[in-house]
Amino acid sequence: MKQILLITDGCSNMGVSPVLAATHALEDGITVNVVGVVDYGTIGEIGSIEIADIAKAGGGISRIVGTQKLAQTMQMMTRKTVVQTIQQAVNKELKHILGGSTLEDLPPNRRSQVVEVVDELTETTPLQVALIIDASASMKPKLFAVEEAIRDLMLSLQAREGFSELAVFHYPGRHSGEDAIMNVNWTSDLGKLKSLFNRINMKGATPTGPAIMKVIDFFRYGTLDEHQAWRGNSDEGEGKRGDYVV
Amino acid sequence: MREKENAVITSSNPNYPTGTVITGKWRNSRFVIQGVLGSGANGTVYLVQKAGYRERYALKMGNDTLELQSEINVLTSLQIQQKQKDKQEGIAHRPYLLEVDDYSERQREIPFYVMRYVEGSPLHWFIRKRGQEWIGIVGLRLLEKLRDLHQLGFVFGDLKPENVMVSEYGEVELIDYGGVSSIGRSVKQFTEWYDRGYWNAGSRGSDEGYDLFAFAVLCIHLLHGEALRSAAAHHLPQTRSVADLLTLVQRSHKLKPYAGWLTKAIRGEFEGSDQAWNLWKQQINKPVFSKSKPSDKTPRWLRYAFTFSFLLLCVVVCLAVWL
Repeated sequence: MKQILLITDGCSNMGVSPVLAATHALEDGITVNVVGVVDYGTIGEIGSIEIADIAKAGGGISRIVGTQKLAQTMQMMTRKTVVQTIQQAVNKELKHILGGSTLEDLPPNRRSQVVEVVDELTETTPLQVALIIDASASMKPKLFAVEEAIRDLMLSLQAREGFSELAVFHYPGRHSGEDAIMNVNWTSDLGKLKSLFNRINMKGATPTGPAIMKVIDFFRYGTLDEHQAWRGNSDEGEGKRGDYVV
Repeated sequence: MREKENAVITSSNPNYPTGTVITGKWRNSRFVIQGVLGSGANGTVYLVQKAGYRERYALKMGNDTLELQSEINVLTSLQIQQKQKDKQEGIAHRPYLLEVDDYSERQREIPFYVMRYVEGSPLHWFIRKRGQEWIGIVGLRLLEKLRDLHQLGFVFGDLKPENVMVSEYGEVELIDYGGVSSIGRSVKQFTEWYDRGYWNAGSRGSDEGYDLFAFAVLCIHLLHGEALRSAAAHHLPQTRSVADLLTLVQRSHKLKPYAGWLTKAIRGEFEGSDQAWNLWKQQINKPVFSKSKPSDKTPRWLRYAFTFSFLLLCVVVCLAVWL
């Protein structure tokens, strides 16, 4: 099971729409969850709407929280999304077998068997979570809490029976052609998640959409660089990745 | 901690007023709501009376069918095993889970289950009201409950004072089984303070030690709450550690009688909850505990009174001799 968890504090302002990018992600079987982090003030109406829209398009959940609640929120969202994804798959099977009935339609005694299966799968399904961190200037004071929350999430994932791993990215890149930078490749090792954001050069722009597109590529090819070569291949590239520039 | 947020995803149910009749869709039993007992991790618990009967029960309505059913599965499995155990031991079985059904209201189906009603107050209220010296015996009974659960292959997970009910006479019941998971799986639901992971003291996997750790933090919370609060707040997350908790345990005179036990639980040194139960029992039966504190000094006024009456006696005797 694949998930993207986007952590941001405002509106995107560059490149392809993040809502479109999230739609692409869902198409690829990647659920997109979004956390808006605010400590002082609010995230703004436009920002809040965008956050909710990205999650809706990506089949996931969105939340707006303060840094104090960040760790537990990320943990809860990840778990909840795993359950939902499995429940959807199981409901689909149920409909297939029983013709139109869902979990809620079954009598409680039969429901219990289905839930047992869902619980089992929730715990054992392999899981990959790619974290995309908005590292625009306003996020700087929150990065410490973000790093802590990532470690906390790893701790929860490590306790699962199924194989689980995390990868961490941030954006914007160092120059205009770089949509996202990888901080940590797939790992299950808590030790690798130390001082993630020490050397980040904070910038003002927030190209959320391009960063999501980049990470979708990473899910496909296991590297951020593959994309350049792939884009050269015109008959495949054009349809899937439009270079919308605002 | 995570609980209230769930309500946002799955629309939470309204609170039904007293007098509302809840009719089960599948079994047609009717329950009359008498009040709200509390809102928990994934639903609301009502005090109800089965229509036509005097007995009162607790009825839990879930916000999410899957989550509630998962909890019901745990309760059912506990009940089956408990029944067998009671049969072997020749004890009359008192079922905990009574009925599982759905309530149809305005084209919505709300899942619910009915359980035994545990009359009492949450652990922290009880201790505040009755005194900290109750921790010994109440703690022992709580450990007994945890041990039973562990023996059946489950870990409670979200152990906190709100989830422990204590009756007027110190009987203990665990409530809210929403965080219960099978040993070996990941902990389903937890609260930061009591979580082993939060204190960088170990994994978030379900083992007996996880509940024992939470029990230890719970004791610190009940006996020395302010210190725990500042320890949790003042440390940076990555430096928060077992050592902070151990320092608290060593420094507090209130925690001193339990220090040996707490240290072992925090360090994860117990082999299991059976051993932990035994040590707790030994500990609370030590003379330190049974020694009530009679004032060993004679009150000052009594001494003055004595001196005065002695002098008076002398004077009287002298007078008598002289006369």
